[in-house]
Amino acid sequence: MADDTTPAANPALDQLPKHALERLKGLREAGQQGGVFTSDLSVNEFLMVREAGFEPLGMVVGSCIYHVGIQYGSWSKNQELNVLSQAMYHARELAMERMEREAHALMADGVVGVRLEVKRLAWDRDILEFLAIGTAIAHRSGHPGFKGPKGMPFTSDLSGQDFWMLLRAGHRPLAMVMGSCVYHVAHQGVLKSLSNLGQNTEITPFTQAMYDARELAMERMQNEAMAAEAEGVVGVQLHEGSHNWQPHVLEFFAVGTAVKPIEDKSLIPEAVSPQVVIPVND
Amino acid sequence: MAFLSRVFRSAPRDPDAARHAAEQASRDQEWQSCLENDRIPSFVQRRLADTKSGKLPWVSTTSVGGLLAQRTHGIKPIGLVSGNCWYQYGFSWTRGHYDGWHKAIDRLWREAVALGANAVVDVTMKVQRMADTSGQMDYGVLGTAVSIAGLRESRDPVVATVSALEFARLMEAGIVPVGLAIGAHYQWYYPNQNILGQNMSGLGMGMGGGMAMMGGWNQELTSLSEFLTDVRRTAVGQLQSDAARIGTGVLARVEYSEIEPGEAGEGVPPRYLARHIAFGTAVLHDPRHHVPMRLRSVFSAKDGKMTPQVDLTQEVI
Repeated sequence: MADDTTPAANPALDQLPKHALERLKGLREAGQQGGVFTSDLSVNEFLMVREAGFEPLGMVVGSCIYHVGIQYGSWSKNQELNVLSQAMYHARELAMERMEREAHALMADGVVGVRLEVKRLAWDRDILEFLAIGTAIAHRSGHPGFKGPKGMPFTSDLSGQDFWMLLRAGHRPLAMVMGSCVYHVAHQGVLKSLSNLGQNTEITPFTQAMYDARELAMERMQNEAMAAEAEGVVGVQLHEGSHNWQPHVLEFFAVGTAVKPIEDKSLIPEAVSPQVVIPVND
Repeated sequence: MAFLSRVFRSAPRDPDAARHAAEQASRDQEWQSCLENDRIPSFVQRRLADTKSGKLPWVSTTSVGGLLAQRTHGIKPIGLVSGNCWYQYGFSWTRGHYDGWHKAIDRLWREAVALGANAVVDVTMKVQRMADTSGQMDYGVLGTAVSIAGLRESRDPVVATVSALEFARLMEAGIVPVGLAIGAHYQWYYPNQNILGQNMSGLGMGMGGGMAMMGGWNQELTSLSEFLTDVRRTAVGQLQSDAARIGTGVLARVEYSEIEPGEAGEGVPPRYLARHIAFGTAVLHDPRHHVPMRLRSVFSAKDGKMTPQVDLTQEVI
């Protein structure tokens, strides 16, 4: 690895507290003899990350406790609650950014197995806790071609096996990308409900609300991936949650790993010929 | 409500509020006319067109293994497609489920056509309910539109619950996934007083109310058995005829059934409701033709279960 990546020249270090730096320093020495790494990788994941040419450095975390502002939807109107959409997006972004900063301080190439969780706090329904946690890894021989956007470590929710497979498929991860949309689904008027009584019928305003909210979340995720200069987004999941809000308020959250083809063709294995197998250990 | 109006008044004025409201209104209007006329709104079409042309990144719900299929089998992800339908099943639960799912799948299919896909793989189904709405729910489907190397854009992309890898494996074996098949049936059973009185004895504690009449011997509740079997047979029969429209068989079927007693009145035996619903991927194959696979036994390095089939039953009912 080049000399300009020594900790002294690493701006991320200025923004981290001292005890965090000490912990991270211990981890980075894991790459040297006598050091120890931490991870939440399973045995198989560990083997596969090493098989892919990477070494785990340590677990990195970022969290954010966020007070979500107040916004009410009009009773009979379908509408996005943009205050809440922004809160959900911003808080996740903060947690991810803090995790990334830790990984950067470790001079990691990236973070795999990222879990992004939202927790409710029992004592206040307007306060949510956001957690990002993953395992920082670095290329064994320091190949510079695996960094994420703007020279920061890449982030991805891929498992160790998926990470290996992604490289085999000729792609590398760039960043976890996401899109959020909190939507108020209109209540149905009493007259309308009565006229539908006993009918088999589509409730179009509800369909529309779900469709529109999903579309907005998707669009935002895709735009984020475009900003990261990705070719595509893999392993996309779409979550619907209500986070203890009013009954007609739902969050649509799209998340996936943005990827692009590996530039250094010498890193891509020539022949990929998966074979159909039957595992004999259940 | 006084509290609400206070909140609204005290909110900082957004200079763009009027513009946003106008935009949302025109968006709402377009949604409504498009949903009613089976079309895709222009802003969705624009996003799909940009995804198809590569201006926006492609999107895939499948795991990374699916990307490998791009190199090995030329199955390339284009974009995520989805559809949903909020449906009220008033007079018929069965018909409601059938219509709700089919409408959602039609919408997903239309997005796939807009992307010029050859198939949609990895289709999952999901329902959503709200606390204060009974007898209705949202039927949602989500999948990844793919193109297959060497094929031209399809006018009628195939919709399948199997993953991209399984899709490739099926094609290799000369079996073509052709679409989704659905079968659902529900029925009420009003038992005869005499039959029930006799049968209650073996029914046990669970059914309630029959303790005094219990004889304590083992016996089959033949009328209930027959009833449930009948409901299941009808649902599976519907799955079969739904699949027969397009293919020669159904794979990866998920199903769910339940039977529960209704309320018993004074001197009136309880009635029973049974329902059964089944989904699967319809395939087209030639039973006389078989492509042998060269199998090898291995120890898997994959964590957890190896089976790719997701258990959907809890989700879809």
